Order: sequence, then structure tokens, then C-alpha cells
Amino acid sequence: MSKQRFEILFVISFLTGTIILFFFVYPMINPLFWTKPSIVLEALKDKDVLQSIYISMGAATAATIVSFILGVPFAYLLARKEFRGKSFVESIVDIPVVIPHPVAGICLLTVLSPRSWIGQFLESMGLQVLGTFSAIVIAMTFVSMPFLINSAKEAFKWVSPRMENVSRTLGATHSQTFFLITISLAWRDILSGMIMTWARAISEFGAVIILAYHPMIAPTLIYERFTAYGMMYAVPVSIILIIICLMVFIILRLLATNHSKGEII
Amino acid sequence: MIELRQLSLQLGNFSLKDINLAIDSGEFFVLLGPTGTGKTVLLESIAGLKPLTKGNIIINGKDLSEKRPEERNISICYQDLALFPHMQVKDNIKYGLRFKKDGKSSRFHKNYETLVELLEIEHILERYPVYLSGGEKQRVALARALIVEPDILLLDEPLSALDAGIKETIEAELKKLHQKLKTTTIMVTHDFREAYYLASSLGIIKDGAIMQTGSKEEIFNQPVSLFVAQFVGMKNLIQLSTLRCHEFSELLGDKTMSDRTEKFAYLGVRPENITIANEKVEKDYSFKGVIKDIRNNGIFMQIDIVVKEMTFLSYLTTNHFLELNLYEGKEVFLGFDSSNSCIITAEQNNSSL
Repeated sequence: MSKQRFEILFVISFLTGTIILFFFVYPMINPLFWTKPSIVLEALKDKDVLQSIYISMGAATAATIVSFILGVPFAYLLARKEFRGKSFVESIVDIPVVIPHPVAGICLLTVLSPRSWIGQFLESMGLQVLGTFSAIVIAMTFVSMPFLINSAKEAFKWVSPRMENVSRTLGATHSQTFFLITISLAWRDILSGMIMTWARAISEFGAVIILAYHPMIAPTLIYERFTAYGMMYAVPVSIILIIICLMVFIILRLLATNHSKGEII
Repeated sequence: MIELRQLSLQLGNFSLKDINLAIDSGEFFVLLGPTGTGKTVLLESIAGLKPLTKGNIIINGKDLSEKRPEERNISICYQDLALFPHMQVKDNIKYGLRFKKDGKSSRFHKNYETLVELLEIEHILERYPVYLSGGEKQRVALARALIVEPDILLLDEPLSALDAGIKETIEAELKKLHQKLKTTTIMVTHDFREAYYLASSLGIIKDGAIMQTGSKEEIFNQPVSLFVAQFVGMKNLIQLSTLRCHEFSELLGDKTMSDRTEKFAYLGVRPENITIANEKVEKDYSFKGVIKDIRNNGIFMQIDIVVKEMTFLSYLTTNHFLELNLYEGKEVFLGFDSSNSCIITAEQNNSSL
């Protein structure tokens, strides 16, 4: 009978992994013990709670769609072309990830306020942005779009340009090649990027609260209830948001990783 | 007829310099050169995948230099084959037909059936590329490239990723396929054996410039430069110093040789063109030497023979070696014909001995 050997590095890795999982999972489960199911169900009937969840999900979805429309073509350019200043451009794309989100909100406010030329222009067009659904979408897009651009860029890099070349020489135009070969092979990773973008957007609070306290998104409502009424009122809404986010996240993840037969190289 | 006229291209620090080539229709042209010398870039520029800085690509009298890749009717097959992993083999092969106006016609359907039969891939049509062997992938890539009836087929080192056994099979199939379909083919490779087997004509490329073009016999027996000679496996390259020329004058009975020292740099003879015998050899040039070293590489014998201070390498089959009863230190005669040897000058000119 062979003797089982323990590699010390794997033992350490296992221990740190256990700590990390506890660190992530326990705080998400623990709120369940701070309230009762009946109170959570009661909160589900609260019009303000439901509305804030709808706004959060709607704005996060809109931010993801905007990020997709603008980000995917740009990611393709970054993946396929070399140009002077490319590293600088890539760094700019990552900036929203590294700056504190209330700071991002302040930066956006300086651009959208009526004192800036963009704010004045929007006002002259009769468009009110601050304190509207659009402001929430703008804040969410600002902080979450880098996730989509980077995922899509990596996905496009994974598709060999030689496959695209072969497609072109066989008679496909650049656009046909993009949709038949490049997107066909990269869509799962792009979808993963969209999930991350959506997840990042729905969890955004710092930038949104500066641009639009109202209409209220779920994190703002939770914050308001916590500061005004305490934990007992904040926990049920938090539980609802956690459950909804996890459900959406799991469904989309399954969709993104559900490989069909033999396609993976 | 394909003509490349002063084709030039700049990619970072690398450049293709004034490439001029003329390839007849139906020819199997092989471009031979070391890795990183611009072979793939040249193929991609012919296909329209790399922008030219200068020059023209003319096929059957039409200038295609400004055409997009999809308008050129030139197929390319890469070393890594670039099969589409999300499509079954049959869809990979038929991919190009989607973009043909008459892609669903009986003509292309017949092409499909012919290629599937010729390349013996009926049994893998439903599979995805990930489940194919190297040889099968190669066959699929060839079928995909040929089904659209290209004016030119470009092959980028198509055999280099294959194991030795399957490589010979695919090599033979490639030759058979070309003989049957007569598609004008340009293949690049760094393997001179592969080039000799497949090519009807050859070009040698180095650092983005064509060094020599011609028939394979010309290039293998009359290389114009030391680089070409070494690259095509001409192992015997004897530097012709003043002393050597004098020795050659004596050896070859050519008294003019000693006067030609300044003009000539190297004497070149391929090992397989040197005959060894126990008695004087009936060749244009024959002289006596001593066997210095004998090596068996598993396929044939490599014999080093010293003549004066010059060492000649010759290849013998094992049977021939045994018949001659050769051993190290034995005196033997070696010889070769003038048509199988060359003088390579410093100015890259050549002449027969």
C-alpha cells in the first residue's frame, strides 16, 4: 500500500483557501440569522424595495448594454492592432477600476453639472441628467465598462488572427469574418465579461449616490434604511438583493460555461 | 502566370526587399529559407493580408495589388492549419462556398466529393477539429483551401508540425494532389529535402530578399552563394586558398586553376554526388585520398576522406559500404563530374569547374 505524502505548500494553500471561502460566504449567510423569513417576505411587498431593485437591475442591464455596444468594437481594435500609445490607452481603460468610486462620482458630477460645457449643452437640449435614471446608468457604465473591454480584448486575442486570415482568403469580408469566426469563438468570454460588468454595475453605490440619490437604487435604499432605522430594516432588503444577484449570476455563468460538443480547442 | 514585381514591405524592423518572381501556371514553386526570414510575410502579402509599400502582384495579366484578400481568389494554408474549432470538418471544408455566388452548384459539390475522396477523409466529416490527428487536420485544411478553386494555393510550412512518419505520407499526398489538380502552388519551408521532393522550381530567401531562383537541379547543384550552398545541404565547401588552387591544379590536371585564385572562393560538391571506389573512378575529376572517419546515421554511411589537406564528405548506402570493404585509414579513390560541382565566388557568381 502506497504511503500518502502531504506537500506542505498544498496544505498551506488548502488552509488559506478555507479562510477565504469562510471570509466570503459567512458574511453573506449571516444576515439570514438576523431576521425572520416573514420579515423578508414583508419587505418583498414593500413598494420602495421592489422599485429600488427594478431600478438597480434595469440600470445595471442598461450599463452592460452600453458597455457592450461601445466596448466590444474597441476591444477588437486593442486586440488586433498595434499603435503608438497603445499601452497608455489600455491604462486609461483601467483607470475607473482603480479610483475610489465616490471620486469617480465627483469626477462625473464635474462633467455633468450645469457649470460644465457638457452639462450646459445637455441643459440647452432640454436633457436633465443629474438625479435621473440616466445618471445612474452613466455612473454604473463608468465603473464597470473596463471589465467588459478587458474580457473582450482577451477573448479576441485568444482567437488566432490566422483563422481570420484564412476566412478572408476563402472569400469572407472583414465583417463576415468578424461575425462568423471571431465573435463565434469569443462570445462565451465576452458573455463572461458582460456578467462581470453587470455584477459590478449592480453593486455600485459610491458613484451613483453622488450623481443620483433619487431615483433610489437598492444599495442606496439599504444605506438609507441602515442610517435612518438600523440593521433590522437594512438586513431584509440586503437578503433580497443578495438572492436576486446570486440567481442572475449563477444562471448567466451556467450559460457562459455550458460548452457544446467538441468546440473547445 | 504569377508575377511579383519589386514587391516591398516594411513591418517594424523587418522588410521584404524588391521581391521579383515569375511562376508559371500549374507550377509547384517552393520558397526555401531559414526561420524568421520573411517567408510567411511574403505569402501573406501575396494573399493581400499584409499591405505592400511598393510593387505589384500580377496573376494572369491582372494586377491584384490593390484588391482585398477576399477578392483575390488565393487560398492560404498555415503551418498551424487554423481550422475553425467551432465547425465540424464538413463545415470547415465548405466554409469558402458560402461566399461564392454559385457555392451550392453541382460543380462545387463535385469538388467537395473529389477532395474528400482524394484526401481520404470521409470518416471524419462529422468530427470537430479537436478530435483530429495532425495528418487529418492537414488534409482538412488542404481540402478547405482547394474547394474554392483558387488561382494560387499558398502553403506556409504545411509539413513542419507533423511527425516524421505522417509527414512522408502527407508529402506524397500533396504531390499527388498537385499532379491531379494542377493548382499553382507556392510553398514555403526551411527543409531542403521537402523542397527537393515537392518543387518543380525553387527560390531561396534570406533576410527578406530572394537570393536565387531556378530549377531544383540548378539550385541544389549550382548555388550562387555560400549561404544558398549551405542551406541546400551542399556539405563539401572547400575554401580555395592560393595553396588549395595550386593543389587543385595538380589534382585536376588543370594548370589554369592556379591563376584563378583571386576570382574564386569555394569549391562546392554535394556528398551524394561524390563516388568512392577502390580503383580510379570514371568521372570528370578523380583523385586519391585516405578515409579519416566513418559514421553510420542509421540510414546511410557518412565517410570523410582526406585529399591533401582537404576533407570531402560522401554518402554511401550500407550495402555499397560493405561491398567496398572500407575502414578508417584505407586509401580510396573519389570522383565527381563537373556538372555536379560548382565554384562559388565572393561576388556570388558561379561557374562550373
